[in-house]
Amino acid sequence: MEQNEVILQMVDICKAFDGNQALDHVNFELGAREIHGLLGGNGAGKTTLMNVLYGLYKQDSGDILLKGKKLRIASPRDAIRNGIGMVHQHFLQINNWSVVQNVVLGSSVQNKWTMNLAPEVAKLQKLCDRFAIDIDLQVEVGELPMGTRQKVEILKALYRGVDILILDEPTTNLTPQEVDALFVSLKVMVDEGLSIVFITHKLREVLSVCDRITLLRNGKNVTCMPRSEANEETLVRGMVGEDLNVKDSVIFSKEIREGTKIDEVVTPVLEVKGLRHVTEQGIERLKDVTFSIHPGEIFGIAGVAGNGQLELAETLVGVQSKAGGTIKYNGRELNMVTAELLQQGLTYIPEDRLGDGYLPKVNVAQNLILGAQHKQPYSKNGFIDWRKVFEASWEMIKEYNIKTSGPKDTAANLSGGNIQRVMIARAFSHVGDSLMLAHCPTRGLDIPSMDFVYKKLLARKMQGYATLLISEDLDELLLLCDRIGVMYRGELVGILHRSQFDKYEIGRMMSGVKS
Amino acid sequence: MDQILHEVAFFLKQMMLTMVPFILAAQGTMLAGRTGVFNVATEGIMLTTASVGFIIAFQSNSILLGMVAAMLVGGLFGLVMAYMTTSLKLNQFVIGLAFFFLGTGISTLIPKLIFGVSLVQPVIPTLQNLPIPLLSKIPFLGDIFFNQNILVYVSVLVSLLLYYFLYRTSFGLEMRSVGENPKMADSLGINVFRQRYVAIIIGCMLIGLAGVYLPMVYTGTFTEQITKGRGWLASALCFFGGWRPLPILYGSLFFAGIEVLAYRVQIGTSAIPYQFLIMLPYVATIVVMVLTFKRSTTPKFLGSNYDREKRTL
Amino acid sequence: MSKANQTPENKFSVRKLLSHPVMSYLLAILAAFVASGIFIALMGYDPFKAFQTILVTSFRTPNGFIQTLLKWVPLTLLALAFTVPYATMKFNIGGEGQLLMGAIGATIAGILLKGLPPILMVPAVLLAGTLAGAIWGFIPGWLLYRYKINEILTTVLLNFVTFALVNYIATEVYPNPEVGHPTTIRIATEGWLPMLVDNPPLHSGLILMVMVAIGVYAFTNRSTRGYELVATGANPRAAGVFGINVPVMFMMGLVIGGALAGLAGGIEVAGIQHHLIEGMHSNFKILGIIIGLIAKGSSLAVPFVAFFIAVMEVGASAMQRTLNIPIEMVYIVEALILLFVLLVDVVRRK
Repeated sequence: MEQNEVILQMVDICKAFDGNQALDHVNFELGAREIHGLLGGNGAGKTTLMNVLYGLYKQDSGDILLKGKKLRIASPRDAIRNGIGMVHQHFLQINNWSVVQNVVLGSSVQNKWTMNLAPEVAKLQKLCDRFAIDIDLQVEVGELPMGTRQKVEILKALYRGVDILILDEPTTNLTPQEVDALFVSLKVMVDEGLSIVFITHKLREVLSVCDRITLLRNGKNVTCMPRSEANEETLVRGMVGEDLNVKDSVIFSKEIREGTKIDEVVTPVLEVKGLRHVTEQGIERLKDVTFSIHPGEIFGIAGVAGNGQLELAETLVGVQSKAGGTIKYNGRELNMVTAELLQQGLTYIPEDRLGDGYLPKVNVAQNLILGAQHKQPYSKNGFIDWRKVFEASWEMIKEYNIKTSGPKDTAANLSGGNIQRVMIARAFSHVGDSLMLAHCPTRGLDIPSMDFVYKKLLARKMQGYATLLISEDLDELLLLCDRIGVMYRGELVGILHRSQFDKYEIGRMMSGVKS
Repeated sequence: MDQILHEVAFFLKQMMLTMVPFILAAQGTMLAGRTGVFNVATEGIMLTTASVGFIIAFQSNSILLGMVAAMLVGGLFGLVMAYMTTSLKLNQFVIGLAFFFLGTGISTLIPKLIFGVSLVQPVIPTLQNLPIPLLSKIPFLGDIFFNQNILVYVSVLVSLLLYYFLYRTSFGLEMRSVGENPKMADSLGINVFRQRYVAIIIGCMLIGLAGVYLPMVYTGTFTEQITKGRGWLASALCFFGGWRPLPILYGSLFFAGIEVLAYRVQIGTSAIPYQFLIMLPYVATIVVMVLTFKRSTTPKFLGSNYDREKRTL
Repeated sequence: MSKANQTPENKFSVRKLLSHPVMSYLLAILAAFVASGIFIALMGYDPFKAFQTILVTSFRTPNGFIQTLLKWVPLTLLALAFTVPYATMKFNIGGEGQLLMGAIGATIAGILLKGLPPILMVPAVLLAGTLAGAIWGFIPGWLLYRYKINEILTTVLLNFVTFALVNYIATEVYPNPEVGHPTTIRIATEGWLPMLVDNPPLHSGLILMVMVAIGVYAFTNRSTRGYELVATGANPRAAGVFGINVPVMFMMGLVIGGALAGLAGGIEVAGIQHHLIEGMHSNFKILGIIIGLIAKGSSLAVPFVAFFIAVMEVGASAMQRTLNIPIEMVYIVEALILLFVLLVDVVRRK
């Protein structure tokens, strides 16, 4: 590919949060009509760098040059004005507003005082045709599937006439088939004159779609190379750094593992039959879900986010009530009154760690005992033995490499990755538990920590414990699970044994095709 | 028959008169709420503006000047509250309670400082009725609806304007988006801080007007705790009006109806101890909140401050 | 603008100074005094004399000191009535009403249980007050639990209900016609709290309050339930996901809060007033909330802050008598102290 003219440069960008250096003199360059992969593990600083470009974060130092001209970007408004658009990993949409309202919000519409959006609809329709985007513009956004909601986000940027489009982990919520379709439309956009920054932690994606790759680790530049010069091994080395021995790792191991043979005579640890869940609004979110997990098994749940995984997890945990079906734990049926499974010994790693797992205002120790506050040795006669709690906390901090000044440190000072380590430490430390429910347990972790969690999960399996692993990362499931059940619209469309694993087959099931 | 008709007419006319502070205070609270700021100082602001507005009106002998002063004081409260919640990101409820307390204190302090502790109550003239030409001549209805003081008309007009603004203009759409998802609004180039400042300040000015109405309409005097919880009732109105201008307007009518009813029954009969009639508006409010809890919608980010650089995942 | 460029020592020392909780309080109080002092001066009074009166009256005479202790008792309980639900991030604005309910309960018990020996009567009167307050906390708690109705509104609206109820009981149920102001007849003397000091009178509610304050501290900071209360306040979703029954925690907080305020009302009746009198809450108003907020919700700090506020309140009455400065001035000072405490936090965060 010929060398394009450079349209954007970010020079020596530094950014710190509460003393943590998130970006350390990072440089980045984007050519015209280029798809530029921004690669790195979690916590590498990819999103932070692009948030600086989009005006969401203000850099401590460093310059942004657009077509050679120095630019001050104080807010997203400035970014938009300069033709920069961003699709965030977690869509920023108002569910009960229509697609049009979501898209035109904040742009100056023609009929300001009557809100007759006909001119805007016409303009959007034209854009949709040009970029081959198929969306009903009048539908409420909340009713759309994840793949379409992403298109709404892309449409938002296109509508504002951006030249530079930043996509933050755009494949997270897509099936493998949808990922392929996205890559095709990226090419269309580039042909139409856009330049694209593609943030991802997945090697295969950058290698299949990007023209150039910039690799970050721990907030620093590692390398930047055209795809033609890139090879998997150097990129892996660069992403992982020195902290991980690639040969011993689970992630990069070439070894083929067999699935555990299930002994049908042994009572399953968890047996779910015909489980249903209906929301307060009367929407059925779980339909007749049936599966069982045996000792020493890792059972995976695959699916695009929002197809009932959260409801499944929360029904098992007891936050949401079931509308039908039975749940048996070690052969005994549970009534599921207030968190019964948790009391029986389930450990839980919630998906949304900030919302569902983390107490920001209290200290690290108080976070580490959440859910175990009644258990020995922390609690005696209704009172908490704080000395014991602090001792145990110190051990967890050391073992799980949580970066904090100690158990008395306020949890609000923890960074995202360290909060996830607290979740992991909490789940793996409270022993005597034969079942673990891990929902996206490696979200936000850098690669060495991710590998650490994988090792822990496999060690559990070896010890004969059962694990229910719900994940949006298909690679993670394929790597670890003995069986995978695929969810679509609250239904378990099929269950595949390890010998039957096939990425595109699972992808088809993720979009509702029964096996 | 005539007697009943007369009573009905009187009742309705009183109701129109009584609904004004509810409407203005609730719409003011609602406006800030739609950008995600829950103003719990409404009662305190009303007390202060009632007191300051009354004094200015008394000293200057101008009701209009009193109103303007009340709105300015309300706006000043709003500015400081906006600064503390939006810019300094202090907890909205804590700040609101602090200003409720401050407002309550100021409302009794200022008259004592100005008038001293005197036995003669200062009095201002009450608001004159302003009959609307032609419309006020409609038999029966004309006198009820179109022969009222100016703030009755203003309060209805404000409600309709707010409805139009919030739901029929792109500016309203932007303002509502800030309360539904501030991060989204910010990412689309909407100035979240400016929206919140504007909404809080204008909201507090409306609350100020609601406060000063009280001494101007019934007796022309200012008494301690003149609001009798109307500020809190206005907040409750926001909840069961789903933070929407028109349901708040209807709700205010209902509140006014209960207040007038309690007052009329109190005069008319001694069968029910009057203390229970005094309780009626507060108990009725709680009952209505129970009855409407399912349909009640609130702005998604009500009560939470926005920090752009706060990292989420 | 890199942080590394700033002189670390300089910044560190200022931060360290501010980070000591007592220092930040002193700074906030100083700032509030300066701000209100300017206002007092502008109004034509002598701010130094005013503040001297406010701060010193309590310690000049035995009577002043005992007055302060008598105020300290209900103020501490009312503040705890705010901070216990505040641990779950629920706001109990109904302390006044719950105190009055406690007073009503204690008065009715004290009138009806006439003839019991003091050893039974005193606990019965206090218990009746506590229970009545707890019920008044339970109503908003239940409405929150069952219908998710905002507790700020329900607690405050119930205040207004109580005001009318007090008037009803004092004028219709047990009126004392000899008094011009709505007042009930006296409770039986067997129900009066024993005195610690007879002249000037200091009742034994003081000891009870100190015990209760220690109990509340042990509960919130040491017990497992207290941990669950705090975890609920820190993040209700997370607490719920990990098996804590969050709505019950909310309700428990409000019921305990109501009970504490009710006890304050019971002590007021059994220790000082010996009858129910309209307006008996006017000495406290929402001071409990302000104290709780100044203490930042810490049940350890509450008694200290409450004592300071009690000193200021007693001083304010003297200031009104001797200097003619309206007593409400002290409310402004208190509100400013709260605002400056919050502002010092902002400076510290930076």
